[in-house]
Amino acid sequence: MEYTSFKTKMMEAFRVRMYFFVSSVGFIFFILVVQLVNLQIISGREYAQKSRANMENYIPITASRGEIYDRNFKYDEKNVIIVSNRPSFNITTVPEKFKSKKKLQDTMRRVSKLLKVSYESLMQDMSNRNPWERIIIKEDVDFDTIIKIATNQNIFPNVDWEDAPVRVYNFGEMFAHSLGYIGSISSEEYKKLKSEGYKHYQKIGKSGIEKSYDRLLRGEDGYVRRIVDVRNRTEGEEVGLQPVAGNNMVLTMDYEIQRVAYDAMRDHQKGALVVLKPASGEVLALISKPDFDPNLIISKDNQKTVTDLSGDKNRPFLNRAIQSKYPPASTFKLVTTIAGLESGKVLPSRSYHCPGKYTLKGYKDHDFFCYETHGTLDLYWAIAKSCSVYFYQLGLSVGPTNILSYAEYFGLNEKTGIDLPGEISGFIPSRKWKYKTFGQPWYDGDTVNLSIGQGFVTVTPVEMVNLISGLVNNGIVYKPHLVREIRTNDNRKIIKSFKREKVREIPLSQLTIQTVKQGMRLSVTSGTSGRLGVLKVPLAGKTGTAQTRSRRKEDFSQHAWFVGYGPYEEEPEKAVAVAVLVEYGVAGAASAVPIAERIFYKLNELGYFK
Amino acid sequence: MISREEINRIDYVLVIVVMLLVTMGILAIYSAGFDPVDKINSGLYKKQILWFIFGFILMILMTFLTYQSLGDYSLHIYGVLLVILLITTIFGKPIRNTRAWLSFGFFSIQPSEFMKLGLVIVLGKYLELRERDISHFRELFIPALLTAVPIIIILNQPDFGTAILFIPILFVMLFVGGADLAHLVSIVLIVIIATVVPMILTYREWIGAEGSNFILEFFKDVNLLLIVSGVLFVASIVCFVLHFFFVNRVYRRVYLPGFIISFGLLFSIAIQKIFKTYQKKRILVFLNPDLDPHGSGYNIIQSKIAIGSGGFFGKGFLKGSQSQLGFLPEKTSDFIFSVISEEWGFFGSIMMIILFAIIVYKGIRISFEAKDKFGALLASGITSILFFHILINIGMVIGIMPVTGLPLCFVSYGGSNLLMAMICIGILINIRSKKFVY
Repeated sequence: MEYTSFKTKMMEAFRVRMYFFVSSVGFIFFILVVQLVNLQIISGREYAQKSRANMENYIPITASRGEIYDRNFKYDEKNVIIVSNRPSFNITTVPEKFKSKKKLQDTMRRVSKLLKVSYESLMQDMSNRNPWERIIIKEDVDFDTIIKIATNQNIFPNVDWEDAPVRVYNFGEMFAHSLGYIGSISSEEYKKLKSEGYKHYQKIGKSGIEKSYDRLLRGEDGYVRRIVDVRNRTEGEEVGLQPVAGNNMVLTMDYEIQRVAYDAMRDHQKGALVVLKPASGEVLALISKPDFDPNLIISKDNQKTVTDLSGDKNRPFLNRAIQSKYPPASTFKLVTTIAGLESGKVLPSRSYHCPGKYTLKGYKDHDFFCYETHGTLDLYWAIAKSCSVYFYQLGLSVGPTNILSYAEYFGLNEKTGIDLPGEISGFIPSRKWKYKTFGQPWYDGDTVNLSIGQGFVTVTPVEMVNLISGLVNNGIVYKPHLVREIRTNDNRKIIKSFKREKVREIPLSQLTIQTVKQGMRLSVTSGTSGRLGVLKVPLAGKTGTAQTRSRRKEDFSQHAWFVGYGPYEEEPEKAVAVAVLVEYGVAGAASAVPIAERIFYKLNELGYFK
Repeated sequence: MISREEINRIDYVLVIVVMLLVTMGILAIYSAGFDPVDKINSGLYKKQILWFIFGFILMILMTFLTYQSLGDYSLHIYGVLLVILLITTIFGKPIRNTRAWLSFGFFSIQPSEFMKLGLVIVLGKYLELRERDISHFRELFIPALLTAVPIIIILNQPDFGTAILFIPILFVMLFVGGADLAHLVSIVLIVIIATVVPMILTYREWIGAEGSNFILEFFKDVNLLLIVSGVLFVASIVCFVLHFFFVNRVYRRVYLPGFIISFGLLFSIAIQKIFKTYQKKRILVFLNPDLDPHGSGYNIIQSKIAIGSGGFFGKGFLKGSQSQLGFLPEKTSDFIFSVISEEWGFFGSIMMIILFAIIVYKGIRISFEAKDKFGALLASGITSILFFHILINIGMVIGIMPVTGLPLCFVSYGGSNLLMAMICIGILINIRSKKFVY
């Protein structure tokens, strides 16, 4: 009896326990199903994306930047290509694709040995970036190296390569400051331009036209979709998106003129020149010395070149034509003349006597010298001979207010708006400025200095060429520009052409214009620019010799200026204006004029004046 | 031998379900063995077919046997398997740093697989014999010993996953065999306290968690812990002694939790002191693979991607990129379920879950209807072997269980596991055919 009751009790307990067993098993199976629903149905799409990310390797195809031609470009003809591209490869990797840090380090060690790059700087580069970012290990690698890496993917796992056309500046230093160069996008630039579709691995124009027209030149990158297995062996490849090459560009610059100008400037350590057509503002040549070779800068491996150049005390990266201010010196006498004539204070026939010096009467007499004793001369001859004593007296009679306001009319204290980045403006003082800065009123001595372009006034070479431009164009100044048109990458169609753009119109009387032009003409025929008289085309010009603060170095204490145009007395459409500046040249006539001479000679040869 | 009536009671559904599972497994092994680069198959699926044929024969043999004779020879079976296991562990040729295989030229056998069955048989017999006394705590000693010996040997191979599997099997059999629930729950609680405390401390230290409270401070202070657990232990002993003299439930209410907490804390101190930080970290990664996405966590992440990317209908046979392109590790053995889920989608994985659920349900039902206690225990043990394989393997690949290298029965590539599983099914059919008839 007792046995049966125990047995029954046991059976009952067994029953309960079996029910518990089966229900816990059921519950656990339910949990498995829930997780499967979660993985495969709820998050299915997300995981599908991850699985694609696993096997798909998106490798960007860098679009080649637009080519750049000079102004003589003709469709379907052999043209001078100033900037072109050369096919090449980059070696890249994505650090996060490695299974372990050790594997990454081992692979990078082997790769750095093969490519001869510094392992330390490579790892440094990686640690500063998002691990999913594509890191460029080396740029501009030849095809043999690619084959080595491609066929040894077991030794170089996750090491990829991509097309990366390399920019070639065919004339090296010659166009350095006008075209600029490109470089890897910096993190600040990237932050700013991310929204415009720029990618962190891309190149961007860093200076010159490459910078100011970057959006038009860059093109659109494409990508290759590569199917890879876990060891990064390629299973298949397809082009996901074809890159679109950037637009081509036709400059207003003339290769021949630029070359001659470059040769002419070769002997001078520092200086700048601008050649432009006043009737349209088209820049034909633009030089700044010293210069650099953009080809050496654009590659990632040439950090040393860049540091050397940036550390150079002569500042080769500075575009002196637009980024450097100089006292205009005697070239400013043109402004003084214009102010005098326009204000009606003088007539062209007004003559002063030049005994070689001018004594300004005052509390204490002060002598201002002329470089020569000119005797008595009228305004034409004063311009031609650049007689300072004449202009001292002229300036005093015209008054500083008139002179300064005409300098402002010509925009000598404003950026010209040239299509290059980083332009600065010249400086024109004022009574107010002087009082604020020095706590002194404007003295007559300041006026004397101002009238010959010394003292406080400073200008950039491109502002000076604009001054000539205004004279030639009867007071109208067009914005200087270096780009004539943008074409599609097959050159077939013009996307955008840059028309002349009027930036200022100065009311000048014909008497004023004719007087100044005649003075400048006389300077060529029998004055300070005499050397230019031998050319077949009638030219007009004005020299200048700026004194700078480094007076002690006797021979090189002066900047040499020449501004001028040709042909004299023809319609403005045929004219070409030139401004030349040589830093620490011996004197205006001796350094700057021969340069202008060679340019005018070439311009004539090429038929610009016809 | 076997009567006609018994043949009529053979569970053909079970046989069909097993054959379906094995077929899905072979297809998955075929798919996983296909290398898209070299365009050749590793040929593993052919071996699996041979193993299946062999296993099928063993299953039929088991059907004709009288299962009670397994009980009669239980100690012999257990003893022989233990010796083979010991020989393997000492003399076996290491494969992937584990001495788990006995090699016979063109094939090799993993004795630890069969040890699971041996343990179930010996436990079944012991628990049947001790049916009346099993509610005493001291009766748990022999089953624990029988389980501990193979576990220690297998841990020395070392094969952590297989060793750990013996513990839940023991618990299920004790539970079904009628052990006192309070005892079982106490043991589980002690283990939980002993492991959770050091793990939480290590985890917080590892991820550099900020802030603290008095509980954490308490667990960090080893001396304080020692004092507290010592006091508790002494108090529990006093109560334990007292309860023999004064029959009062209060004493039991004090000494039971007292023992649990004091033992738990003592073991937790031992774990904190004995294990090095990197070992504790390894256990943490085992519990949460996301802590180490490049190490063992990598496998689970890839497996989840494979399963998840399968979506509802899957990528199609031979089209699973995760397995075909090699992102999935161990795809023919441990991660076979991921291959199926990727290529057949939710449809395939649910189908597989249903088939497994049928086997487990039938196993429990057979245990419930068994003619005698030994049959019931044997069926429960076998069912728990299969069930825990399924739970641990699928749980691992879908990311809800720790990473332990256990195969998925009937589906994963591997002869020993398949043979063992087929024998299990044979025994289940046998028990059912002799079931208690009212």
